[in-house]
Amino acid sequence: MTILWTHLVKDLRIEWRSREAVNSMLFFALLVVVLFSLAFQPRGEFSQQISGGVICVATLFASMSALNQAWAREIRHQVLDAQRMAPTSGSDLFLAKVVANFLFVSIVQLVLAPVFLVFYNLRVLGPAWELALVLPLGTWALVANGTFFAALSIRSRNRELLLPLILFPIFMPALLAMVLAIGSILTGDNGQVLWIKLLAGYDIIFTTVSLLLFDVVLHAE
Amino acid sequence: MKKFAIILYTAVTLALLAWGFYQAWYVAPADAMQGEIYRVIFYHVPSASVAFLFFAISLLGSIGFLAYRRSHPDWAQRSDAWALAGAEVGVVFCTVVLLTGPIWGRRAWGIWWTWDARLTTTLVLWLIYVSYLLLRRFVAGPQMQTLAAVLGIFGALDVPIVYMSNRWWRTQHPAPVFGGDSSAGMAPAMVTALMWNMLAWLAWGILILGIRYRVERQHQKIAEREAQAALIA
Amino acid sequence: MDARAILDHEFLVAAYVITWAVQLGYLAWLGLKWRAQKRDEARNLRGGR
Repeated sequence: MTILWTHLVKDLRIEWRSREAVNSMLFFALLVVVLFSLAFQPRGEFSQQISGGVICVATLFASMSALNQAWAREIRHQVLDAQRMAPTSGSDLFLAKVVANFLFVSIVQLVLAPVFLVFYNLRVLGPAWELALVLPLGTWALVANGTFFAALSIRSRNRELLLPLILFPIFMPALLAMVLAIGSILTGDNGQVLWIKLLAGYDIIFTTVSLLLFDVVLHAE
Repeated sequence: MKKFAIILYTAVTLALLAWGFYQAWYVAPADAMQGEIYRVIFYHVPSASVAFLFFAISLLGSIGFLAYRRSHPDWAQRSDAWALAGAEVGVVFCTVVLLTGPIWGRRAWGIWWTWDARLTTTLVLWLIYVSYLLLRRFVAGPQMQTLAAVLGIFGALDVPIVYMSNRWWRTQHPAPVFGGDSSAGMAPAMVTALMWNMLAWLAWGILILGIRYRVERQHQKIAEREAQAALIA
Repeated sequence: MDARAILDHEFLVAAYVITWAVQLGYLAWLGLKWRAQKRDEARNLRGGR
């Protein structure tokens, strides 16, 4: 547990010093929100319906910039070699990185939320507090799988190209669930419980499998 | 002896395919509602079945590779060859499904595509295994097989989730379903034709799968010989 | 009515032709791959560098 904490604090501290990941994510997500607003000119009912999708796509694009260089620091400074030689399991390193990236993306979402509400003139007709359940669950699905697949693509020629190619198909059911849940909450039609359960199940399954297989990936070299 | 068996098997496969075609076009009657276009089913449904079967074989290969890579290296290599062959030939059959489906749908139901559970799952499956093949192509070095095996497992894990999520979505928001219930209301002659084509395409699939496996094993041996030569040199 | 049946038939033919094009195209690609690998193998066995 302390190993996990050590890794996590280290990642957070490094990010706090440069703030480069969060800043680029923030800007990218903002651009996506604005672009979609221009492209679809959402108003009223239509706005409520598509905003779930827009939030998710904005989160997706924003996370890619963080995930693409998720392991860059570790590669540059031979941290992975050190980890392989250490007697501890790699899953602490992995989980810490997932939590750190999760926090970064969540911060971006929190900052962007008021902007989003304004641009899309959103009114939340359903239980708004459930958004605080859906967004983290969906973001966790993205970040957990994304960090794992980023580790898979470390040794590939086109790392930035490969990561979205292998991440997006597998992420699709979570994307669907997130979009539909947010849509249900915003329009107040009460269909979201099913999707929240799907997201929770998805998170549990894939986080567990990732933790089990991370050492395999780490020692594949 | 082995060569003769292969030639015989190929001949039988081609005969089955020809017989299946005959059944599909001339024996099976026209559909009451769809007329002639429904005959796409005789190529569409068997291709889907073979694709899913071969993706399952690929999953077993991935698991086998991870399980044997320390204890029985040769078994691991064979498993990896099956994983690749299953994935690649599966993608070929899945491509056929995704191409013939919209052609059928456009004439029968007026739409090229719909996001129902089966179509969406098939599309996502195709995307997952294409990404698997891309990983194998883009990642260099001996660890590629391990990473590919891991991705293969992740991908296979996702498939039932995709299917279920889409079913639930369509329970909440009903929408057109391609093909309806594929075996509901089919005349006996149609079912027979479908069975013959299932057998024929399965036979063809196995033939192609076997060829792909052989080609991959040859590639593995060449790569190993080159690696050893590099060590000695 | 007949025009529709003709178009149906054309789509049907297209579906079957596409199926065989994909399958045979893949088989052809496999054949080329096999031949290229056989050449590599022969080159290696000859003691090529």
